[in-house]
Amino acid sequence: MKPYLSMFLMSARRTFAYRLSALIGWLGGGAILISSLSVWHALLGEGAIAGYDWPMMKAYLVVAWAAGSIGASQGDWRMADRIREGHVATDLTKPVDYQGSRFAEHAGGLATEIPAILIAASAVIAFTGSIPGPANVFLFLLSFACVVPLKFCFTYLTAMLCFWTHNFMGISWAKDAIIWLFSGGLIPLSMLPVWLSVPASLLPFAGITATPAALYLGQATGAEAARLLGLQVFWVLALWFGARLLWRGALRALTVHGG
Amino acid sequence: MFRTMRIYRRSLGAHFRSLLEYEADFWVLIVAGAMFNALNLLFLSAVFAHVPALNGWSYAEAVLLMGVWSVIGGLSPLFFEGVWRLSWMVNQGTLDYPLVRPAPVTVQVFSSGIGLHGVGDIVTGGAMLGWALFHVDVDWTPLTVVIGLVLLASAATIHLSIIAITNAATFWISGPHPFLAIAVHTFEDMIKYPLTIYGAGIRAVYTFVVPFAFVTFFPVSWLLDRSAGWVGLLGPLVAAYCVWLARTVFRRGLRRYDSSGH
Amino acid sequence: MGLVKAQSLTKVFRRPQKGPGLRGSVKHLFQRRFKDVPAVNGIDVSIEAGEAVAYVGPNGAGKSTTIKLLCGILVPTSGSVEVAGVTPHVDRIANARNIGVLFGQRSQLWWDLPVRESLGLLRDMYDLPKGFYQQRIERLDEVLGIGELMPVLARKLSLGQRMRADLAAALLHQPRIVYLDEPTIGLDIAVKDKVRKFLRELRADGTTLMLTTHDLGDIEDVCERIIIIDEGRKIFDGPLAQMKDSFARTRRMHLHITDGTPMDVIAKHLSTADVSGEGSEVTIAFDRFAHTAGQIIAAVLQVAEVGEFHLDEPAIEDVVRKVYAGELLV
Ligand SMILES: Nc1ncnc2c1ncn2[C@@H]1O[C@H](COP(=O)(O)OP(=O)(O)OP(=O)(O)O)[C@@H](O)[C@H]1O
Ligand SMILES: [Mg+2]
Repeated sequence: MKPYLSMFLMSARRTFAYRLSALIGWLGGGAILISSLSVWHALLGEGAIAGYDWPMMKAYLVVAWAAGSIGASQGDWRMADRIREGHVATDLTKPVDYQGSRFAEHAGGLATEIPAILIAASAVIAFTGSIPGPANVFLFLLSFACVVPLKFCFTYLTAMLCFWTHNFMGISWAKDAIIWLFSGGLIPLSMLPVWLSVPASLLPFAGITATPAALYLGQATGAEAARLLGLQVFWVLALWFGARLLWRGALRALTVHGG
Repeated sequence: MFRTMRIYRRSLGAHFRSLLEYEADFWVLIVAGAMFNALNLLFLSAVFAHVPALNGWSYAEAVLLMGVWSVIGGLSPLFFEGVWRLSWMVNQGTLDYPLVRPAPVTVQVFSSGIGLHGVGDIVTGGAMLGWALFHVDVDWTPLTVVIGLVLLASAATIHLSIIAITNAATFWISGPHPFLAIAVHTFEDMIKYPLTIYGAGIRAVYTFVVPFAFVTFFPVSWLLDRSAGWVGLLGPLVAAYCVWLARTVFRRGLRRYDSSGH
Repeated sequence: MGLVKAQSLTKVFRRPQKGPGLRGSVKHLFQRRFKDVPAVNGIDVSIEAGEAVAYVGPNGAGKSTTIKLLCGILVPTSGSVEVAGVTPHVDRIANARNIGVLFGQRSQLWWDLPVRESLGLLRDMYDLPKGFYQQRIERLDEVLGIGELMPVLARKLSLGQRMRADLAAALLHQPRIVYLDEPTIGLDIAVKDKVRKFLRELRADGTTLMLTTHDLGDIEDVCERIIIIDEGRKIFDGPLAQMKDSFARTRRMHLHITDGTPMDVIAKHLSTADVSGEGSEVTIAFDRFAHTAGQIIAAVLQVAEVGEFHLDEPAIEDVVRKVYAGELLV
């Protein structure tokens, strides 16, 4: 466990070193939050849409923003660059698990993000009222904890594509766009046309925004809440072990091509 | 002038050809560029399935605004990507060579890269714009067309000038990354919606301090003949001011350039 | 009338004085403190058309800074520059047409483009007619062998290949004045020789050349005038030969004594020279203006049998080293 802990701490420290770029990332997220709050404020002035009134939507947007911000300062770039610049070869000579190491680094960035998210989110909620009951909060926190490994898996899987393509930027954007749509970050899934909303609710992306938001807002309780959490955990495990398989395949490709 | 244009074209063309080497990346970038626009459009469509108007803007009008924004937003990666490298060049001292060549430094810097995702933006944005123009209620006369094109060009100029100015800040705030420019650029994303949905503070800043409002909101308001639409006609003036400011900032900045210590 | 003229040229860099870490940076925002670093301090230079000048000095002396001032990259803090009748930092573009510049540590090639594309871009910038361009490329291929490098991406070139391509890029438009800042840095002997040969040809064509280098072999091969600077000030300016005469007075003769005559016997006999050595190998250092080599050998032969002998010519290297070390005052 010790090597992972030290990687975690190293990465936590590194986010402080890149504080300016982290700050910009935050500002960017803030700009998106402002524009989506404003759009919905204007839209909901006349009345609720698809069951969402203004206080609910506000809470939904704050949850979506928090889920979107977490792990953002950890840029997918570092992982992709390791592969593109051939550092993987050195990583593989170390006596630690590769995926585990990357996860430790990813999680290290959260040490600085979680306090920031907590402060910002409580400020917004304090201003806007509508604090949910303790049961909701508890379920929400369980679900939000799954967001971290989920987002890690997406990043890790997409970074691995660098074994096959040179330019990571396009891939990273495509990933962001897909997550944005299917997680419910763009718009609550229930407002999408049915042919999109049904598959979206089953795919792993929903675990990033839609599930924690539904639990927070109390839209899912009891058995339904358990089902959503179960689905989220299922996807975390499936992606985690799927990534291992893919990684093995990638390495085989690497040696076949002569590194 | 012609020579400058030729240099610009040559330089962009050379970088474009080098990008074509990796065909897969080429398509991934273009598709990824288009994807975000498609999602923005999807958002509008989904919302307008439930409401008739956004702050008095109909679906077609909102799409028009977003289309203008996408087209203009796509111009900068396609024709201007190099400006984002200025900080790095100044920081590393690699602006030395552009300074000893007989061509404007700005031209050499701006054309030193190309971002293909701009193609995705322009194609999807153009489609939105084209569709919306058919569906909005405008009395078309030749004059409207001419003024409309002038305002579009002004909007693009304002957008590009602001990018140039914020990137040129690197001559004063040293550092290898254009943080100020990136921050300002992310805030520009807000102008894909009608400005009236925002509070008075944001509206004032976007009109008088960083005139993003002249990139989408005012010109489109003029075309749609909305209240205060006449402000859109000030676009060319604002554009001229922004270009002047960008030139001055660049000139001053270049005099401060102190290369690097080797 | 010099082609390149600088008068009391001065460049002072302001270096921010920041404490370490975030605290230092934040504090610097409010209390801006700077330290002035004079990199070039009142230098006068005048170079005639067709001259080849070596510009030398220890690390940090201000060589690169001077070159950047002469080509208009930097704006001088004070003093004036005029190159072929224009002030470089004011009339940047007019000046750019007259000059060619190479910074050895840094490439001007577009690193993600093939060499051919980079040269093509430069062709457009300098507005070179097609025939002239073709002719230049052929010529540069002859002397630098760039033909084989044309289709290669700049970032895939080896250091020596890169330098050759960069030289070609700097000289493509056949500039009248060429500044080279360490053109042989990091090159192996074979490539170095190629570059030097090329520079000699350039000189023969009548190009005005200014060269900074730490490899004094470059200088002896190419230049006839040398300027030495230290800490931003000029400390010597004159013909290379004169410098050798003034500062390299000591010649050394190495002898192999075959009859076992002890060294102190020779030393006693040659009271005005400095004799050192071990066993049968003897080195005699003498002032070239006081004695000729013939006089010395004749004197030695009076007391000893000599087998082999040879003479070290004064090397500019020694001189410059001494100037750097402050042993020689100019
Ligand atoms: N851009 C800059 N900002 C601050 N100081 C600088 C800058 N460029 C050079 N200096 C300082 O000016 C002095 C002269 O530097 P310069 O590069 O001219 O030396 P040089 O003679 O070329 O040395 P070298 O032989 O090491 O290349 C050095 O002390 C250097 O630290
Ligand atoms: Mg130097």
